[in-house]
Amino acid sequence: MAEASSWKKKLKNNATGYLFLLPTILVLGTFLFLPVFYSLYLSGHKVNLLGDVSYKWIGVNNFTRMAGDERAWIALKNTASFALFVVPLQTAFAIMLAVILNAKLRFKNFFRIVFFMPTVTSSAVLSLIFMWIYNSNGLLNRVLEFVGLHGYNWLGDPAVAMKAIMLMNIWSTAPFFMVVFLAALQDIPDALYESAMLDGAGAWRRFISITLPLIKPATFFTVVMGIIGTFQLFDQSYIFSAGSGGPNNSTLTVALLIYQYAFKNLDFGYASALAVMLAAVIMIVTLIQRKLFAEEKLN
Amino acid sequence: MRKKSGVLVLSFMLAVVLILSACGKNENNAGTGSTETNNGTKQEATKEPAAEQVTVTLAGWGASPEEQDLLNQTLKEFETKYPNVKVNYEVIADQYMDVIKTRLIGGEGPDVFYLDAFEAPGLIERNVLEPLDSYVTPEFDVADFEQPMVDAFKQEGVSYGFPKDFSTLAMFYNKKDFAEAGITAPPTTWDELEEAAVKLTKKEGDKTVRYGFGVAPELARQMFMIQAFGGKVSDDEGNAAFASPDALKGLQLVTDMHNVDKASGEPKEVGAGWGGEMFGQGKASIVFEGNWAIPFLEQNYKDLDYGTAELPTVNGKKGTMAFTVAYVMNKESKKKEAAWQLISFLTGKEGMKTWTSKGFALPTRKSVAQELGYDKDELRSAIVAGASYATPWQAGSTLPTIMSNFNNQFVDTFMGNSKLEDAMKKAETVANKEIAAAK
Repeated sequence: MAEASSWKKKLKNNATGYLFLLPTILVLGTFLFLPVFYSLYLSGHKVNLLGDVSYKWIGVNNFTRMAGDERAWIALKNTASFALFVVPLQTAFAIMLAVILNAKLRFKNFFRIVFFMPTVTSSAVLSLIFMWIYNSNGLLNRVLEFVGLHGYNWLGDPAVAMKAIMLMNIWSTAPFFMVVFLAALQDIPDALYESAMLDGAGAWRRFISITLPLIKPATFFTVVMGIIGTFQLFDQSYIFSAGSGGPNNSTLTVALLIYQYAFKNLDFGYASALAVMLAAVIMIVTLIQRKLFAEEKLN
Repeated sequence: MRKKSGVLVLSFMLAVVLILSACGKNENNAGTGSTETNNGTKQEATKEPAAEQVTVTLAGWGASPEEQDLLNQTLKEFETKYPNVKVNYEVIADQYMDVIKTRLIGGEGPDVFYLDAFEAPGLIERNVLEPLDSYVTPEFDVADFEQPMVDAFKQEGVSYGFPKDFSTLAMFYNKKDFAEAGITAPPTTWDELEEAAVKLTKKEGDKTVRYGFGVAPELARQMFMIQAFGGKVSDDEGNAAFASPDALKGLQLVTDMHNVDKASGEPKEVGAGWGGEMFGQGKASIVFEGNWAIPFLEQNYKDLDYGTAELPTVNGKKGTMAFTVAYVMNKESKKKEAAWQLISFLTGKEGMKTWTSKGFALPTRKSVAQELGYDKDELRSAIVAGASYATPWQAGSTLPTIMSNFNNQFVDTFMGNSKLEDAMKKAETVANKEIAAAK
């Protein structure tokens, strides 16, 4: 009897719970899970949506097509090198900013606001502002010339176009991760530093042996989110290259390529296959990271 | 830790979803709003069969406020002439074709919309445009149009759109710069252009502050150079063919002037957005631009003293590009009669006269051109003259793929990073691979 009533209670509780979740489930289902499964479905088809709608099952053809698609490889290479360059730097930069802000500075709140500003600004707006800075007659070239270096055609020259986007991305994303690190830093008890100081550890030693190990969870989070974010780079290279990924495919990213195939060529099947591939790559990279971080924890 | 990141990811997703659903809602609201103002309720209220109110949606890309006013004026004239048809004019601000295609897929396409000749074969092939031949009446007078501009919207003899206006490229030259350099007449051959460009290029230290010739290294502007020596952009099967020796000869002239003579530059190199701006800012003495540059220069660089001339001959032959845009009808439209009334008015003699009266656009009807006298206009005569020998900016439904690959590589070789032949071969191979894969 008692068992049955508790079972009933449990059911009731669960029902209430799910009822509360219902709006979220519906919204997520419609806008997240449905599109995900639909694109999985599309990735195995040759799709024509404009005009005479047709879906033709072609198995893994969309995936084998990638092997011969030069631009897909270039996009993947660009995206990977972008992540490889941006993630370590943005993490290091974020730690640096956080450590500065964690020190007992005057006008600390003012600096916090200033540092955080790039993150709350729309990245489309930032891209446009940076296009002015990167303009051949823009601020950056003027500064370079002032110190006696020669300027670049930042947006038109394939050799530097992606670097320009990298710099901007680091600058605009680091402050978000800075906040994460700042929270982690404030969790470290002062007593640890005090005792280290009594042991005669210098500032650098304290940073290496206390700060870094204790903010490791935050570092893991930052690196994972950073990798995911950089692998999905779209808006900045889209705006910089007006959607073309040029010059000479130097700013072509996987997400931009997906967009081009889907909306320029209306090849939704292949575009979905590329999206599935990108998701798989991100997942694998994240798993590898987890493995690496977890192993270190044992030591 | 894992929990924390999970919560963060979830809340982030939630935020995205909320934003998305908000957007969706807005669109829905706008959608139901406009259908309400459509014939729905009104039609039933006023039961006079003759005065049945119909609302036609017309979509186009944005233009300058003056041009917008002129179009609105033309539309007003239409509404006075056809009091039972109301026009709901929508401006698509950015990525026009992406938006149009997506809306056509969703069944929310406008009844009548602008279509660039360059995109026409692709849409015609997809079978989403209404063939217009059955609507044409003798009074509409198709023979009055410039033939190449009508042909741009034809496939297998069927017309899918009628051109609203056009422009060719003409040579804009800065008279003051020419006088300073001692050049008395605008160049008439490519050799003369090269010579003039070298003279006109101005340097301060090792930095070029003014290029003799401002050039846009993209296929839309260089297609006639490919054809100058008998080359082709694509073959009959729709495969890219722009790396043939004949095609390279013409393109070589363009890249040599930049890399050997150092006398030409692209707008980005001097921090300008496009040729007209580069020319207006005095950072290029010669540019090849179209009619659109004239109102732009008039408005932004009033004191600029410039002239126009036909493009210099290449290989002894005249050549230029022609760009044209048509009004086309959505095959799924439910108000085809009214939609045709709108198209026939806007591309008819009356509507076109109003639309082209201020010179923002050039008429595609010979009778209107004559009446408005653009063939004798000081600045526009060179642009009008080009119409008879121009290459229309169009090359089958594979052109978007061909174009993106060409542009990608051509910029690279233009900047001197690769050899022209290698770059074009590479672009051609990649384009053809992509075309084959998409089949």
